[in-house]
Amino acid sequence: MTDTKTLPPQNIPAQTHPAKQILMMLWRDKLAFCAAIFILIVIFCALFGAPLLEDVATKQNLRGRNAAPFDFSKDWVFWLGGDALGRPLLARIVVASQNTLMVATGAVVVSLAIGTTLGLIAGYTTRMGSQIIMRLADVIMSFPSLLLAVIVLYMLVPSVGNLIIVLAITRIPVYLRTSRAEVLEIRERMFVQAARVMGASTNRIVFKHILPVVFPTLVTIATLDFAFVMLAESSLSFLGIGIQPPEITWGLMVAQGKAYLTTAWWLSFWPGLAIILTTLSLNLLSNWMRVALDPVQRWRLEIGKKSNG
Amino acid sequence: MTAFLQKRAFASLISLMGLVVLVFFLSRLTGDPTTLYLPVDASLESREQFRELHGLNDPILVQFGRYVGDLVQFDFGMSIRRSAPAIDVVLQAFVWTLQLALITMTLVTVAAIVIGSIAAFHIGGVFDRIATFFSLIGASAPDFWIAIISIVIFSVGLGWLPTSGTGTVWHWILPIAVLFIRPFGLILQVVRGSMVSTLSSAYVKTARAKGLRNKPIIFVHALRNAMLPVITVIGDQAAALLNGAVVVETIFGFPGVGKLMIDSILQRDFTVVLAAIMVTAVAIFVMNILIDILYAVLDPRIRY
Amino acid sequence: MNLKACLKGTALAMVVALPAMAQDNAVTVVLSEELDLVDPCMSSRSNIGRVVLQNIAETITEMVPGQGLQPRLATEWEDMGGGTWRFHLRDGVTFHDGSAFDAEDVAHSIARTTGDKIVCEIGAKYFGGMELTTNVVDANTIDITADPAQPILPLLMSTMTVVPAETAVDSFVSTPVGTGPYTFDEYNVGQNIKLSANPNYWGDQPAVQSANYVFRSDSAVRAAMVQTGEADIAPNIALQDATNDAMDYSYPNSETVYLRVDHNIAPLNDVRVRKALNLAVDREAFVGTILANGTLLATGMTPPSTIGYNTDLTHYAYDPEQAKALLAEAKADGVDVDQEITLIGRTGNFGNVLETMEALTAMFQDAGFNMKLEMYEVAEWENFYSKPFAEDRGPQMVQAQHDNANGDPVFSMYFKYACDGLQSGVCDEKIDSMIADATASVGAEREAKWKDLFAYIHEENVTDVFLFHMVGFSRVGERLDFEPTIKTNSELQLAQISFK
Repeated sequence: MTDTKTLPPQNIPAQTHPAKQILMMLWRDKLAFCAAIFILIVIFCALFGAPLLEDVATKQNLRGRNAAPFDFSKDWVFWLGGDALGRPLLARIVVASQNTLMVATGAVVVSLAIGTTLGLIAGYTTRMGSQIIMRLADVIMSFPSLLLAVIVLYMLVPSVGNLIIVLAITRIPVYLRTSRAEVLEIRERMFVQAARVMGASTNRIVFKHILPVVFPTLVTIATLDFAFVMLAESSLSFLGIGIQPPEITWGLMVAQGKAYLTTAWWLSFWPGLAIILTTLSLNLLSNWMRVALDPVQRWRLEIGKKSNG
Repeated sequence: MTAFLQKRAFASLISLMGLVVLVFFLSRLTGDPTTLYLPVDASLESREQFRELHGLNDPILVQFGRYVGDLVQFDFGMSIRRSAPAIDVVLQAFVWTLQLALITMTLVTVAAIVIGSIAAFHIGGVFDRIATFFSLIGASAPDFWIAIISIVIFSVGLGWLPTSGTGTVWHWILPIAVLFIRPFGLILQVVRGSMVSTLSSAYVKTARAKGLRNKPIIFVHALRNAMLPVITVIGDQAAALLNGAVVVETIFGFPGVGKLMIDSILQRDFTVVLAAIMVTAVAIFVMNILIDILYAVLDPRIRY
Repeated sequence: MNLKACLKGTALAMVVALPAMAQDNAVTVVLSEELDLVDPCMSSRSNIGRVVLQNIAETITEMVPGQGLQPRLATEWEDMGGGTWRFHLRDGVTFHDGSAFDAEDVAHSIARTTGDKIVCEIGAKYFGGMELTTNVVDANTIDITADPAQPILPLLMSTMTVVPAETAVDSFVSTPVGTGPYTFDEYNVGQNIKLSANPNYWGDQPAVQSANYVFRSDSAVRAAMVQTGEADIAPNIALQDATNDAMDYSYPNSETVYLRVDHNIAPLNDVRVRKALNLAVDREAFVGTILANGTLLATGMTPPSTIGYNTDLTHYAYDPEQAKALLAEAKADGVDVDQEITLIGRTGNFGNVLETMEALTAMFQDAGFNMKLEMYEVAEWENFYSKPFAEDRGPQMVQAQHDNANGDPVFSMYFKYACDGLQSGVCDEKIDSMIADATASVGAEREAKWKDLFAYIHEENVTDVFLFHMVGFSRVGERLDFEPTIKTNSELQLAQISFK
């Protein structure tokens, strides 16, 4: 995504402030810049928009249901149309951003942290420990995620916290297996062998030498998992066991609007678009970040330059 | 290698046992099926009679003991819902799922590796941008959206394809197309990311320094090394497909194992849930062993 | 070959390969779920009934909308007194397996349906709490005795499907055999069920010679299938998919939606609070918006097609101010009206149930109730709806949908309102005696007694919050001559379908 020609570090004056330096690099990649702005807006909505619009978003008007979008004569909250109970979609999307971000961030961060830790241990520990962890991953992985979610949510209340737990559990194996696989390969590389010969501790090797190499791949998966988690949350709502009204998430809005897909497309289109744009932005940002901030990757730009030119 | 296979088979068996115990007790915690099988007006006596008939009155450990006792003789129990052997019900559905998963994953793997590698080689180029952009959009759109809209367009609007069901080869196109999109987007991203890393790593540099200027050779060399994380993600996605594609099966009326599992847990048809989990788990374990072998083939430094 | 030509070729090939629209006299029916069982004794479940009932297995009598109780396998019947009814059976009827139909088959079917080796839905739903004994008088005559005596036994027999005497009593059949106009040919699990016309049927040969049932859970897909000609009938589609006036029919589906109020817990034990609940709901606002046009506002548990339906009653008009006043009055008397009341809904119970429940919750809140909505999937919901109720529960209202297409309130009232009724939230001596009286009466007296009961429940006791008599939608292909009725909710008689 990044325009490689703009990024060589030597172009950036060494004496500028690091924050300014990052902003400069961001500004040079217009797509990533837009993505960053969008993510900021979403975070802003989640933090401040939700409490402000709470009341507007729950005001029903049965006789004005499924109001069409782009009717600019109405209040601005109705510009994206109204839902099946005549509530303004724009306001609901803003309010829903809070729960959505909480569930998605929570699940991704928790599964990334636990999965990567277990994966590093599995890849760099005794055979026994590795075996136990891998069998655990096998069990979770062969447990269909939706089924696990259904069972757990039948027993617990489908609250935001429980949703995070359920979704996080189902995503752990991906990080676990990915990080272990990378570790298996990296630990045989020259620099790790060298570090070991020089007497570096296992902790140091794992966190200083291996983790930085593994991390870019994990971040790529994590950003994509944002989409996965939001959509899984939506599938749970599709099956009727996700988060329950009056709480709202984008996933629930998409699932509720599904019935109207052929008659009132906007009900599920806007929240779906919100999901897509958020994930897209995160991915653009992560791609940019990998190129711009990872010192290991910098020399790669030379190949990019040559193959492009 | 034989020793490795034996070890893995043993390990898988342990995982399978863990899974059975977990699912048995977890699913029982979701409640009693009696109310679901009788009309709401059914008397307390007929409820009692139903529980007696299906052995639901015994303590849960007794039920578990009986289940395991039958299981070692390969008796998976009867489905309450279908009133047929649970394993038959599951295998019938699993055949469909297996076909769907195999076809979809083959297409996804080929397409994602080819397009992802090209994108990585010309990173930042037009092709890269387009491929990334569309694969990301595809990967983040709700599948029931895509499914229903594709029916509206291709079946109702254009009349090219049947709406749903099975029967002819045309019936398979829409479900596979919808299933294709998400794993494709995900794997494409991983291929691209991994290729970028590999192309920037020391040994490719070395190869180039040694004078290897031939792009195809660098490409193949890098691809081989970039495949490790890719295979992991492919495995993950294939496992998800083997566990059934609930949404696609629901909308297209495809008789796969995903919908069967969800329906069975909704109906508290525990024997079918357990049999389904076991069948899909065995399939996934076999696949995981294949993946581990593939790791070793691709990277001789990995020892088992 | 350029792309366009290639696409054209593909499209052409597809048209050729599309499943043939079959012969002119075959129909395809798309149901909302796969059938778990096809046993005739389970055919009171709607999707099983749509395949089996009166197509494969016939009942002893038949309830026809608008015509009342009609003969089917029995030609006439008379009350012998003492709870015994004599049924004269049709002559010259054979089962699909070639065996002749006689009184022994009826006796066996009754024993099987109400027996304890398998739990048959028809037995549990209509014959719980009574003992049926049979006495075969001769090949074409049978005496059926119910204990306690059932004045409407012939009506009850309209639910009893008849299978051959050889049918196993301890297992469900996978290939149902009956006397009906169609034979069960094959069931490809996960794909379809095929029926074809029975050449030896005792009645007229039907116009539809074969039928193919397929299963799709998504309403939009079912509607699309009829639209494209892949199917001929979708008996049940959602309101928002019924967009084609030429193909879509609405029919009263005999379902009543109501909120069951738990009278055992304060503040719901106060009649003013219950009245306020009723006044807080703007029922009219739902019709033509979230729910279909043609949905009726309910004043009682059973639809207008049942006897004793009380046309004198009118629904509680929307009056939040009066509701607030009643609440204030109750509060002044020390009733704790600010306590949180839980409104329990059932996920997926009918189209738009979630929207309906959200709207109701908002209406109650606007009228000053401290109302909280909780949606549950059926198994958990049942724990709230049916006894035994949890000991430590707070004040609750349970949303439920009740189906009575059988023409008599007896199928509903005991379960929903008697002290011992499994889903009854009330225990009122007067209601109990009124139910007992009406159940034991016949004719006009029975009708009047049910009417009084409906009035008492709605006006005086204000037992529950009645909401709607629902409407269902079917999509029927244009080549068929078929109009859905109230019965389409539970059966689909192929023999009633003809071609234009």
